[in-house]
Amino acid sequence: MNKILLIIRREYLSRVRKKSFIIMTFLTPLIIAGFYGLIIYFSIKGINDKTDKVAVVNQNKTLKENLVSNRNVTFEYVNDSFEHLKKNLTKSSYDYILYLPDFDIEHPKGIELIGTKQAGLTLDGRISDSIEDLIRDYKLKKSGISQTDLDNLKIKVTINTKKIGDKGEEENSSAGASTIIAFVAGVLMFMFIMLYGVQVMRGVIEEKTSRIIEIMISSVKPFQLMMGKIIGIAMVGLTQFLLWIVLTFSISALTVTVFVSKDDAKKMVASSSIVTASNPGAQQIQAAAISDGPLGNVQKSIKNLDLGKIISVFIFYFLGGYLFYSALYAAIGSAVDSETETQQFMMPVMMPLLLGYALSLSVVTNDPYGKVAFWQSMIPFTSPIAMVVRLPYGVPGWELALSMIILVIGFVGTVWFAARIYRVGILMYGKKASFKEMVKWFWHKG
Amino acid sequence: MLSVRNIVKQYANHLALNDVSLEVEKGKIFGLLGPNGAGKTSLIRIITQITAPDSGDVIFNGKKLNSDHINQIGYLPEERGLYKKMEIGEQVLYLSKLKGLSTAEATKRINFWFDKLEMGSWWNKKVEDLSKGMQQKVQFVATVLHNPELIILDEPFSGFDPVNADLIKNEILELNAQGTTFIFSTHRMESVEELCDNIALIDKSKKILDGAVDDIKAGYRNNTYKIEYKGDADFSDSAIFDVIELTQTKNGKCLKFKLKGNFVVNDVLNMMISKVQINHLEEVIPSMNDIFIERVRK
Repeated sequence: MNKILLIIRREYLSRVRKKSFIIMTFLTPLIIAGFYGLIIYFSIKGINDKTDKVAVVNQNKTLKENLVSNRNVTFEYVNDSFEHLKKNLTKSSYDYILYLPDFDIEHPKGIELIGTKQAGLTLDGRISDSIEDLIRDYKLKKSGISQTDLDNLKIKVTINTKKIGDKGEEENSSAGASTIIAFVAGVLMFMFIMLYGVQVMRGVIEEKTSRIIEIMISSVKPFQLMMGKIIGIAMVGLTQFLLWIVLTFSISALTVTVFVSKDDAKKMVASSSIVTASNPGAQQIQAAAISDGPLGNVQKSIKNLDLGKIISVFIFYFLGGYLFYSALYAAIGSAVDSETETQQFMMPVMMPLLLGYALSLSVVTNDPYGKVAFWQSMIPFTSPIAMVVRLPYGVPGWELALSMIILVIGFVGTVWFAARIYRVGILMYGKKASFKEMVKWFWHKG
Repeated sequence: MLSVRNIVKQYANHLALNDVSLEVEKGKIFGLLGPNGAGKTSLIRIITQITAPDSGDVIFNGKKLNSDHINQIGYLPEERGLYKKMEIGEQVLYLSKLKGLSTAEATKRINFWFDKLEMGSWWNKKVEDLSKGMQQKVQFVATVLHNPELIILDEPFSGFDPVNADLIKNEILELNAQGTTFIFSTHRMESVEELCDNIALIDKSKKILDGAVDDIKAGYRNNTYKIEYKGDADFSDSAIFDVIELTQTKNGKCLKFKLKGNFVVNDVLNMMISKVQINHLEEVIPSMNDIFIERVRK
């Protein structure tokens, strides 16, 4: 036992002292905080500061009403000919020309949008929405609905999603917030397992190629060496993760105060319908702006998500998933003489992880309670990613417990399996390892 | 102190050790010889408990080999290395703590050995900054640092220049004089003759020869002598011996011969002394190298 501790200590210290570790640990939160700052910045300023100017050539005899300009698109009706406008577009002040031919109102066809640059999907959508609105309004009026009734019909609805918590209380939730957390957790989990799993493999290959392995295993058992390495690197990962959390939170808090200037805060309060702040002190306004503004909903929901639980479950699945995969990586490392030979063995190990990653971020986020989500979060190959992705949406306690138990059984299994290959592999040199060979090593006695 | 009894070790498609037995006496230097691929490394790996035999026993100080013995054995493998990015001092400290030494005790001994082998300033150097010979010295220190009762050296002199090889040889002899037992695996037969008390020769997974070096060599004496003389007499047709070889030297001639029947070397002297001036006479004892080649070729 004492020997394992010595090995863990060396593996841990030799990595934590590396420059690359220190740089990664301090730079990543800065980058995350930078992104966070940008998001806040744009949600206040609005991403699209530029308004596209569209010249409309209307030759339609039925649609008399004009398209309504908004923040992003200004429509200007012109009497020029379409051809003439097209020729002079580069010289004119317009960004696009919209051509509305005299189409049949039941089958609108032949509408063209021409610009100096390709119109993006958003613009395309906005314009077609506007035209659809126009046609709908026209038809409704034709069937006898008055303009006042029409205006009354246009109501904007915001849904305040709530969820009944474990104890029956109502919680504010937001599909948006859950999805953001789910994505971040899923990506982080994938990255961590990959990154640290590969570190285990590299470590094993290093010991093999530097030929220290035989000196080592005349002092310790191969299993001790393997476990020491795996646990040592796991602790490096934990250290990095915890530092990231602490640093990200503190730097983010700082960014919020820097990026949200007082003016913006006032603007946001003014635009918000729930202004309750009676004391116009700058600090309060700022706080109110953040909690009630568009970003506020997401932030409020994040607060309701029980980050403590998410982080501790994340740590459990990181450790479980990491142990599960890193043992396999250790076995691969032991079987080869250099990193270039690892390719053929990496694929079968990477595939389930990649599959879990891809499915988790698509199917599971869309339907976090479905069959795919359930089975993915039970099978230990995919459960570390799938479960942390599901967690922000809420997972029944028994499912969480069952998945955890299966994962523990899973990694005990892979560690046992890997150790049998490892003990033979580390002493094999110059032999091109194959799967057949590895099966032989697995059954090798003694 | 170490007895290997009827060890059999089978790998997937070849038999590495076939019923090998040998005895290593306490305080002796034991040479484990054999051509490449004979099974020496397999045997050493069993003694160091890196692998387990399929059948047979290893007895260490009267007890069946177990994990308590790991700290009493020091092993310098033929294929040896160090962690490249680690500092030398830290590395040797790590290796000796894995052999059960406390930090304080290990530090004390490292300082002692580093001074002794002129490595005093190496503590903070990284392995990648050392030459191969320097790394070998570090590995030797790491092998002997925990004061093992039995030290196993696999090709210890490969990579050393003559000065350092001599330095290490003297350390081996000194440790041996203090009672440490050595198993010494090598291809360099001249170092076997210099160092070893006993040897075992392994070939094709089997032990084919063992015993004290002197006894083995004596067993290979075959009444061959070498005589140097000045003079022109012709001995090519002698009744006492068969000529093996006659060569011209700076100071005269050198005749290598084998005695016939029951004649002794004095008969040769009696016959020659009146005809030529004799400068030198010696018995030709086969070297370990000759014995090795002869036995392995069989």
